[in-house]
Amino acid sequence: MNDLVIETSGLRKVYRSRGGRTVAVDGLDLSVPRGGVHGFLGPNGSGKTSTIKMLLGLVRPTKGEMRLFGEPVPARLPHVINRVGAVVEEPGFVPAFSGRKNLILLARSVGLSRATVDDALQQVGLADRARDDYRGYSLGMRQRLAIAAALLKSPDLLILDEPTNGLDPAGIQAIRELIRNLGDTGVTVLLSSHILAEVQQVCHSVSIVGEGRLLASGNVGDLLGESVSRTRVLVADPQGAKHFLESAGYAVARSGEELVVEGHEHPEQITRLLADKGVYVQELTAIRPTLESFFLELTRRPERTTAAAADAPTEGEAS
Amino acid sequence: MRLLLVELNRFRSRRAIVLLALAAVLVAVAFVAATAWNTRPLSHADRTDAAAQSDLEGQKPERQQEVRACRADPQAYLGADATAADCAGALIEPPSTYYPRQPLDLGTVLHRQGVELALIVAALIVIAGATFAGADWSSGSISNQLLFESRRSRLWLAKAAAVTIGGGLITLVVLGGYWLGLGAVAQARDLSIPGADVTHVLWHLLRAVALGMGAALGAFALTVIFRHTVATLALLFIYSVGGELVVNLLPFEGAGRWSVGNNAFGWLATHHRYFDATITCTPVERCSSTQVMTHLEAGTFLGVLLLVAVAVSLLWFRRRDV
Repeated sequence: MNDLVIETSGLRKVYRSRGGRTVAVDGLDLSVPRGGVHGFLGPNGSGKTSTIKMLLGLVRPTKGEMRLFGEPVPARLPHVINRVGAVVEEPGFVPAFSGRKNLILLARSVGLSRATVDDALQQVGLADRARDDYRGYSLGMRQRLAIAAALLKSPDLLILDEPTNGLDPAGIQAIRELIRNLGDTGVTVLLSSHILAEVQQVCHSVSIVGEGRLLASGNVGDLLGESVSRTRVLVADPQGAKHFLESAGYAVARSGEELVVEGHEHPEQITRLLADKGVYVQELTAIRPTLESFFLELTRRPERTTAAAADAPTEGEAS
Repeated sequence: MRLLLVELNRFRSRRAIVLLALAAVLVAVAFVAATAWNTRPLSHADRTDAAAQSDLEGQKPERQQEVRACRADPQAYLGADATAADCAGALIEPPSTYYPRQPLDLGTVLHRQGVELALIVAALIVIAGATFAGADWSSGSISNQLLFESRRSRLWLAKAAAVTIGGGLITLVVLGGYWLGLGAVAQARDLSIPGADVTHVLWHLLRAVALGMGAALGAFALTVIFRHTVATLALLFIYSVGGELVVNLLPFEGAGRWSVGNNAFGWLATHHRYFDATITCTPVERCSSTQVMTHLEAGTFLGVLLLVAVAVSLLWFRRRDV
């Protein structure tokens, strides 16, 4: 039995328009293991949505192979689509129908009952407004309805593209809880999001893409372990301390009276070195690597870091 | 079948389509009312006026002179079997000529208002068919639908079948109601309806329903290609108006055969006569610019157009990114 729910190999998508060719996905090799929540990260325009659309048969790949539950897609997509629920880009529903009517039509097309629809609406907290016209829904309510639609088929694989867009903090927390619960109950969730702190909170593993290629993939803890450790150091003589640390082979950046040191394995190496040189540390803070810092390291380019940082919380610290 | 029922539900639930169907019903009611009014029984005053006009015409000196000449030689005027007593009746228009309106005659209505109403209903159904497909694209709900039924041909076929059935039903109800309404009017006036007229009306209704189904399917198919209701309607408008101009400018004779308008009328009206400006007759050449279009010719033309639109639409939908 194949333990990969999603596999892509050499996946490529080129969009052609009057303006020329745009390579959205460029030889992407993606593997998502069965069960748990898998983050799918990348800067704007890195090919995340195109990849998801190709997996779901909405967009035709230019080249490459894809498998869902071990079945080649799009050729065998009809055989597995009922095991997949998805929210892709902005929710698309008929504005003049109520949220419930929109879902009933989708449910009926695959033989699901009204009770299933009501359960899904209850699950996303939209039962009270289910009979209102979709056109009157706020962005957050639309997003909830899209998630409810994705849950209708009780999917084994849930693909969520920015699912918390437009949700208020309580909504974000509720959806995060829902995702976490689904992941814990054996559903495989592929979560594409810009909110890296959110991804770090709910994801067991991540794949990071940039310019249509896979940059890193694996367990969140393992990936962050590979990240460079840094320590903030406060001393009375920063100039002297900087000199001693650099002489010992560490990378040091000065910020006012503080130094940020990279390249050591343990913070005590710094205190011992400086103490031996007669410089006593007044304050020492280990800067823990976060998914955000790891992501920025991988994808660092001026325009991209700006876009990603706009949504991302600041780096976590611990003394 | 399940998918077809879903799409039929989607079709009948669209408010725009319900409004268009209501508009079609209102137009049909207006047509019945107008026909009933325009063929209402003559009043005593109408008959008196007509008799007075007939008398007045008969009193004119030139008419009297003509009657006298006829009486002198009735065979020369009216044929071998004529007698002098026939002259006044044959040469002076009877009062019925001066009646302000004719009684209800379904045969006459069929060739005029019947065809006009069927074309108006078909036009409304074109809008309904385009709206049905256009809303899927403009709202983005087509993506959601494909996440539930990824077999694109199947989804297309279910939608196409729903819009075709819907278009046919609207036409049948509206036009069926129209003819039943006129039948009721005739019955209320104790007018007998010849069996041949009933047969003609039934065939006409069948062709009108087929036109409605084709109009809905064609508009749907085109909108799937253009992904926009307005684009489809604009194209059809340009084609129907601009196409007529182009057809008249084509440098070969008989180009009027390819006009959509002529073919639409030709499909609905029996032996539709149309003026073909591309046919030029010289004094020595025996020909006529007035041509006759049969149902078969019109049906073939419209059917081929529909088939092309359907084939392109289905292929397009199967292959294009959503």
